[in-house]
Amino acid sequence: MTQDAGQLMERVRARDADAFEALYDAHHRVVYGLAARMLGDALAAEDVTQAVFLKIWTAPELFHGGNFAAWIVRLTRNRSLDVLRVRKSHGEAELPETLPEEEAVEDTAFANIDADNVRKALATLPPEQREPIELGFFGGITHDEIARRSGIPLGTVKTRIRMGLKKLRSALGTMVTV
Amino acid sequence: MNGSHAEIFDDVAVYALGTLPEAEAIRMREHLETCEECRDEYEALAATVTAVARSAESCTDATNGAVYASPLLKARIMREVRAQSATKTAPATSAPKVRSLVWPAYAISAACLVIALGFGAVNLSLTNRLHHLEATQQEAATTRTVDDATVADLLNERAKRYIVPGGEVVRSNNHVYIAMDDMPQPPAGKVYQAWTQPKGSKVMVPGATFVPDRHGVAILPISSNASLLHAIAVSIEPPGGSKAPTTSPVVLELLE
Repeated sequence: MTQDAGQLMERVRARDADAFEALYDAHHRVVYGLAARMLGDALAAEDVTQAVFLKIWTAPELFHGGNFAAWIVRLTRNRSLDVLRVRKSHGEAELPETLPEEEAVEDTAFANIDADNVRKALATLPPEQREPIELGFFGGITHDEIARRSGIPLGTVKTRIRMGLKKLRSALGTMVTV
Repeated sequence: MNGSHAEIFDDVAVYALGTLPEAEAIRMREHLETCEECRDEYEALAATVTAVARSAESCTDATNGAVYASPLLKARIMREVRAQSATKTAPATSAPKVRSLVWPAYAISAACLVIALGFGAVNLSLTNRLHHLEATQQEAATTRTVDDATVADLLNERAKRYIVPGGEVVRSNNHVYIAMDDMPQPPAGKVYQAWTQPKGSKVMVPGATFVPDRHGVAILPISSNASLLHAIAVSIEPPGGSKAPTTSPVVLELLE
């Protein structure tokens, strides 16, 4: 019987390598894919993937329950932002604050979403909404920097991101529910 | 972001997306602790942002150049995890020299593995390996795809595994491999060279030269007839290798 991530994490806390392997099998694609998208570098993505999963193994107590997928996405994005910070030379744009990993919201929607459906839903957004969302999330830059690069007012950027996320949520329909 | 609730509410989406600068993110975090309306908005949008991350999910194989996490990455991670797991659970008595399982059984796409025949080593990081091959074209004269049998040998749970500094020697289905995952780079201008000692002989027979990738990982096929071998060794030698070892072995393992 397939165990959910919370049950597997309980076993990981008890140093069960098989449970850890099951977590890896279930989640490594989003971890590696997200890191690869943010860093544009397969080697760096491997390093981030390894760091994220070994963090899970060595410090499973950092997961306080809730949505494991959301938590591991935050771990991955934050770790990738760390890599981007190291890469950034002085004087370049400020990177956004890392998202608090303990705030991974209590919902079970993510586990049921098919990646292809998410891509299709993203494709339904108008470019002026999709692009700042992708640039902000995967590019690891602040909304100020998005505004500067796109040459549109900051308030407009915020509005487009908000509208885009709401439209995306609607497009995903019942697959994303809180 | 200033103190107006309406303006803070407008910033919830960019906070959920993770694009707020540090100072504003801290203020937002504090606000969310006390504002139910913004908290509800945040939770709804954060779930959607998690879905955005899912759109980057990598593929299950490298078909058509798709973004793809090498299964060998898993091997590296699981090796470390299982080693730590064994350490945590092992009794205080001495650890067995031969481990029952180091390489976990998993589906692997043999088509993504490349072996450098001239160089003799299969490095575990695909990208690194390709970079390395590119940098050593004069030595890596040709490449070919590793067949499933080779991969199966390395992943065989019943393989006999001898722990050596930096990795292990794998004896599986009468084949022998050096499988290193924590091997330091050789000194500048030097390479590693494998040696075999046939049964009944006192002579070390020269084998292929190799260097590990930047993770310290390399796999070297040694022999397809393990029953004829008494020992294998690795030493540091000049590029191109030597006819007889010129340095003390960094790896020496008896196979009997």
